[in-house]
Amino acid sequence: MVRVFSVLTLGLALVLSGCASRVDYGDAQARETVTADFGSTDLQMIATKMVDDMMVFPPIVEMTRERRPVLFVDRIKNKTSEHIDTESVTDTIQSKLINSGKFRFVDMSVVDRVREQLEYQQDSGLVDQATAAQMGRQIGAEFMLYGNLSSIVKRDDSTKDVYYKFTLKLLNIQSGIIEWSGEKEIRKTRKRSLFGF
Amino acid sequence: MKAPFSALAARLAVVLLAVVLAACSASNMARPGEDGEPRLYSNNSTLANRLAVEALQDKTVGDLLYVQATLENGWKFELDFQYKIKWFDRDGFEVAPESQPWRQLVMAGRSQNNVQAVAPNPSAVRYQIWVRE
Repeated sequence: MVRVFSVLTLGLALVLSGCASRVDYGDAQARETVTADFGSTDLQMIATKMVDDMMVFPPIVEMTRERRPVLFVDRIKNKTSEHIDTESVTDTIQSKLINSGKFRFVDMSVVDRVREQLEYQQDSGLVDQATAAQMGRQIGAEFMLYGNLSSIVKRDDSTKDVYYKFTLKLLNIQSGIIEWSGEKEIRKTRKRSLFGF
Repeated sequence: MKAPFSALAARLAVVLLAVVLAACSASNMARPGEDGEPRLYSNNSTLANRLAVEALQDKTVGDLLYVQATLENGWKFELDFQYKIKWFDRDGFEVAPESQPWRQLVMAGRSQNNVQAVAPNPSAVRYQIWVRE
């Protein structure tokens, strides 16, 4: 009787432990191939390729030799059928460019909040005017970063093939000239296994 | 006098265990180049044995270090792996370690590929090439 009870207890413990969920930290840079959709590995590959290409393009090297041009990021048009946070891609590119020490950025997404803060410093009467930031002293951006992310998806019963093309351009705001353009292509294929699992 | 079968099996098991443990403990394995300096680092001895750095070149673009490595797959089958360039400053500190991603590379059997990378900022003066599966 005791033996039966022990076996039952052990079995119950095994079943319960099998149902328990578990959370682990993983490598954020590990290859992510859960689906063929746009993923973290694609984002990292694109950002690295764009920054590397831009940094070694001779006119850019010449331009950044003595000064740190000011850029602003417009947006990456998502022309794929997926919902992709393209701002996340440009954020990574922007961080890498800033940390290279070659470029500076203005952030158009916080203009309203900066204006509020400037008005507070100027008009509230609460801020020592000797330390208050002055209106009209911001530096104008010289270049604009913008681009596209497009995809071509082909599929049949057993295979899904996705081709992504990311294009990034650097435009001189005053002259309208595109000073640099980079591209990154990614192909991903998902094949269904023999038994469809 | 013949050794009994059980003794032979025990010896074989010990040898196999030693081989497995040796394979598992080959961490941070580095493949040396002609000048004796390690060129390829990996925690995976199988991968490191199949790959070789055929040529390693670097130059300075502006004030950034620019590296090109010619990797050779000495294996007859396709190799699907990741590589990463780790950058170090003059004092041996790794530069921007979290912002350097592992990059994908698929190499056909017995083929060569050039991989290139640019230092994240001018403080990087040395580098190491790491590979993993």
